[in-house]
Amino acid sequence: MENIQSQSTQTRYDKGNLSLRSSTKRNGAMNSDEPNPLTDELAHLMLQVANNRCKTSFAKLFSHFAPKINAFGVQRLSQQGLAMDLVQETMSRVWTKAHLYNADKAAVSTWVFTIMRNQCFDMLRKVQHNREDAFGDDIWPLFESDDAENNDDDFLLSASLLQHVEELPPLQRQVVQGIYMQELTQQELADKLNIPIGTVKSRLRLGLEKLKSFMEKHYD
Amino acid sequence: MINYHPDQHLLSLHAKGELPLSMSIAISAHAELCAHCQQQLEQMTIALSEQQFEQVNASQHVSEHAADLDSLLGQFLSSTLDNLDADDNAEQAPNTVPGDNSVTIKGQHYVLPRVFRKQINASWQGIGKVSRLRLDTGEPQARASLLHIAANGEIPEHTHKGSELTLLLAGEFSDCYNTYKPGDFMLLDQDHEHSPKTTEGCLCYTIVDAPLYFTKGISKLLNPIGDLLY
Repeated sequence: MENIQSQSTQTRYDKGNLSLRSSTKRNGAMNSDEPNPLTDELAHLMLQVANNRCKTSFAKLFSHFAPKINAFGVQRLSQQGLAMDLVQETMSRVWTKAHLYNADKAAVSTWVFTIMRNQCFDMLRKVQHNREDAFGDDIWPLFESDDAENNDDDFLLSASLLQHVEELPPLQRQVVQGIYMQELTQQELADKLNIPIGTVKSRLRLGLEKLKSFMEKHYD
Repeated sequence: MINYHPDQHLLSLHAKGELPLSMSIAISAHAELCAHCQQQLEQMTIALSEQQFEQVNASQHVSEHAADLDSLLGQFLSSTLDNLDADDNAEQAPNTVPGDNSVTIKGQHYVLPRVFRKQINASWQGIGKVSRLRLDTGEPQARASLLHIAANGEIPEHTHKGSELTLLLAGEFSDCYNTYKPGDFMLLDQDHEHSPKTTEGCLCYTIVDAPLYFTKGISKLLNPIGDLLY
């Protein structure tokens, strides 16, 4: 089940990326179809920090992000002292929350941006309303643990997804069920049904596309 | 099917984190109910983060604060990171206690969007069919509340000095313009009069009385330095 869901999220994410790349292309900031070496490098450093508590990698992340966080802070908080606080708070959380970063869900830049924005939101409230509360992470959920609390929704979504699986044409349903519910490999399923693996792939693709359109129609 | 959504301008201010808390709560709650807006917000956030962090700016000057940043990094490497890890090990308990985000009013139980979970400890006040739970956002410019109208209740006709935001969380209501469903996000200005009625009862999140307060970015309205002087 989870595979189906993450698959559709992934596709949506890709779409987002594409439309955005075409808009930034003019600036030469990004090349549409090639993998972005910077993105990969940052993800690699992040993993080093998460898995090995690697300070050298942290230092590299710091060198990349800190000046930009500082610039954001100066613009938003209008004070160099506060901007430095923002750098410190954001980079501290990059270190302590590194294990929650999930490369499949977001680019490192997006993750760090979210941390920074949330932190900045709480700092602005402190400055403007003298409030010590922290709402940033409730407004823009950041970490895996936040998702885990939303089990109810997932459960509902799973239930409705299951129902839509039932509504697929029989040949597609057979393949979707085989791969995602019986957890067969594509080859095992091809052998079992006595069809070429290419047919398994194409039925799976058609079935997932149909599921996705069901979901978009009913839940968007 | 949700028919009323925040406009692009509001969504983009929200993605930037430039809206006040009261309005940020509204957009976040709407997005939790509306996959379409959620997706737009995600795309905007990706675009903003790339703009902020990945664009290679040819004329990128050496930050005038490079020395400060270097010394901050030095501090991180020599002690801060170790201290953070030590703190982390010390407090094993999860620091995000999942708050209860449900409310019960007049025998009706509602599960609210995640964003409300720190806000709903206050008690309900009300007369007749209309009950209100005031949220403490600390913003003098706006009053944010959860508003419950029991079945067959109505709010007398009123206009607004500033704007009024209503996000329907559960149930239904209608006014002279339309009938609304959970997730609908309605921003009315002072020129509109309306008297919402509900047959099955409803629960809304509302923000009232803030001329132009929540539709402009914080940065345009408030000068942080000015605020610091008071």
